[in-house]
Amino acid sequence: MLPRSPFVALALVLLVSALPSTAHAAAVEDLEQKLKSLQEQVDDLKQQIERQKQTAPPPPPPPPTAATEPPMAPSRPLSISDFKIGGYGSVRFEASDLHDLKSTFTFRRFVLSGDATIANRLRGVVEVEFERFTELEVERGAPLEGGLRGFSQSIESSDKTELSLEQAWVQFALTDWAKFRAGVVLVPLGRFNINHDDNRWDLPRRSLVDRGVPVLPVTAAWSEVGMGFNGDIPIGRYGKLTYEAYVMNGATLDSSIETVARGSGELEAEVEIQPRRGTANIDLKNEKAGAFRLAWSPAIGHEIGASAYYGRYTPDFLPSASVWSVSVDGKTTLGPFEIEGEYVLTRYDDILRVARGFARAVSERAFEAEVPPLTTTVEFELAGLAETKHGYWLDVRYRFFPDFLRESVLGRLFANPQFIVTARWEQVWLDGLVREVDFMGSQLTSLTKEHRFVDRATLGFAYRPVPLVVFQTAYERTWTDRGKSLAGVTNFLPARAGEDTANAFLFGVAFGF
Amino acid sequence: MITRRRLLRGATGAWLVLVPGAATGQEGVFLRPEDAPRQLFPDGGDVQERTVEATPALRERVRALLGGPPSLWELAYRIFTVRRAAAPLGFVIVVEEIGKHRPITYAVAVTPTGTVHDLAVLAYREAYGGEVKEPRFLRQYRGKGLSAPLLPYRDIVNISGATLSVEATGRAARKAIAVLRATGDLS
Repeated sequence: MLPRSPFVALALVLLVSALPSTAHAAAVEDLEQKLKSLQEQVDDLKQQIERQKQTAPPPPPPPPTAATEPPMAPSRPLSISDFKIGGYGSVRFEASDLHDLKSTFTFRRFVLSGDATIANRLRGVVEVEFERFTELEVERGAPLEGGLRGFSQSIESSDKTELSLEQAWVQFALTDWAKFRAGVVLVPLGRFNINHDDNRWDLPRRSLVDRGVPVLPVTAAWSEVGMGFNGDIPIGRYGKLTYEAYVMNGATLDSSIETVARGSGELEAEVEIQPRRGTANIDLKNEKAGAFRLAWSPAIGHEIGASAYYGRYTPDFLPSASVWSVSVDGKTTLGPFEIEGEYVLTRYDDILRVARGFARAVSERAFEAEVPPLTTTVEFELAGLAETKHGYWLDVRYRFFPDFLRESVLGRLFANPQFIVTARWEQVWLDGLVREVDFMGSQLTSLTKEHRFVDRATLGFAYRPVPLVVFQTAYERTWTDRGKSLAGVTNFLPARAGEDTANAFLFGVAFGF
Repeated sequence: MITRRRLLRGATGAWLVLVPGAATGQEGVFLRPEDAPRQLFPDGGDVQERTVEATPALRERVRALLGGPPSLWELAYRIFTVRRAAAPLGFVIVVEEIGKHRPITYAVAVTPTGTVHDLAVLAYREAYGGEVKEPRFLRQYRGKGLSAPLLPYRDIVNISGATLSVEATGRAARKAIAVLRATGDLS
């Protein structure tokens, strides 16, 4: 007897294959009888379905829906494994009264992020930053000239370009209060560095202490390779504590080389040594750094945090010296008003000893390099070091949106559009800022330091149609010691000698997705 | 000096401390739907569950009540009716709304008069913004009805860095009330 349905055939095969090889013939006959009975029942059911199809009206088409997501079953698993792509970006127009700046568009950055739910309690995050980045082109060749083979290499890129891994970590949540995180992590010093996404802020320029006149050992966004723990600790009616604590390679003095070919044929090389984020390969020093931030949130919308960083900032070829930073930050929300701020103090120990060691090391290296003195000039600059740097920023914001604009082009189809007025006041003091280091042979002959300040006042107005997108305008005035250039103390104002004040109008757009 | 005995003792202590915490504090999943009525209505007695299919007609009524579509439609709604001594205490309904990339699953407790009694986040799947599950945040929604905007900086205190999840929570609360009205559970 041949089965009339593939399902019955499949069932038969499975059943037969499941039988032991010594099965009795009578058992097979009994099985065939049962299958025959089942087949008859299936045939009856098929006939009933056919009759119902002929009598029932055609099924209605699926209902139209304006929802952006497909329908979800109520039995969706509570934990899902997936990978989501996101990111943020920002662009700015700036008109300044500085002689060498005038007006310019700046592609601030584009950050591509990925967020993976690997499994319940296991998560991975990655962020790749393209800062002022439009192109990077490398050309190599082996040209033949006059019968001789030469080699050439050229690198082309956009000005002030940076391509960096901003974050890349995996997190294992042991409990709510103990989540282990390892990889490239943001250093938890102050509140800006850990909340640095451009589209989260309502002004089109980052703060001085975090970026423009960095009091942080490394400019934000500052990340390091390391590992540690973070977590939330509820404390009942007193609110909640949040902490982050990591051990990492840590910031270290590192070099960047700038070469200039003069018309006279002389090649000038300037080696700038300044604190940079630590290496992701072999640590340049045999000591690790640590950072810790503890924040207390007594109620939703209110938080105060304290954080610290400590580590060696000199590579192995220089004497061991420490940098330490402390920060206090906070935010409070009072209806439509927000007040947010951050204070950071950084101290570099033993700058004089480091400068002496630097002079000795540079002398030895110049000798090893056998640099032809008549055609090449090498200058060294110990930049960004000060015995003490400290400063703060304070934002006051007011959020509103008039009802009469809700049906206008600014409000229509947006759930909660906002206008935000922001006033920011910033001050930075640089005490014992290293201006010049002179040495003869391996001996330090002079170390020139100075005390400087930079102040900035900003008034901004922003429009947020949705939380992820903001259009920002701002007027800012930046000034420093009378008669001294802003260029020597900021890293973003190309002021000439004596230009101690800058006024700028900014318009920016920042977006996230 | 760390001896082997000390190491074992420390490891055992850490295990005893961490494991109970892990059992209650798993990241992402916080509560099962069937446990939500007891948590949201601790005084409740009898709990009856039913599932209501999200038919086109029901969706149309919900959309009209909300003034627009939600960020996603469920296929069906699990509705728990909670009573105490035969008197209705309220309803608990399981709804979902998109945070930034992923759905957040909520259990919303609604009083018979159509206001939010309480909320619980059953599952949170985003990388950031999990603070919306905290009771001190969810307390803000109590007593608010369908006419309230339930939006940050208007009638809800925002959580910095979690604005999208805060907005999703408001949408979930409003959707829950709208569904209960559309099903006839609320007048």
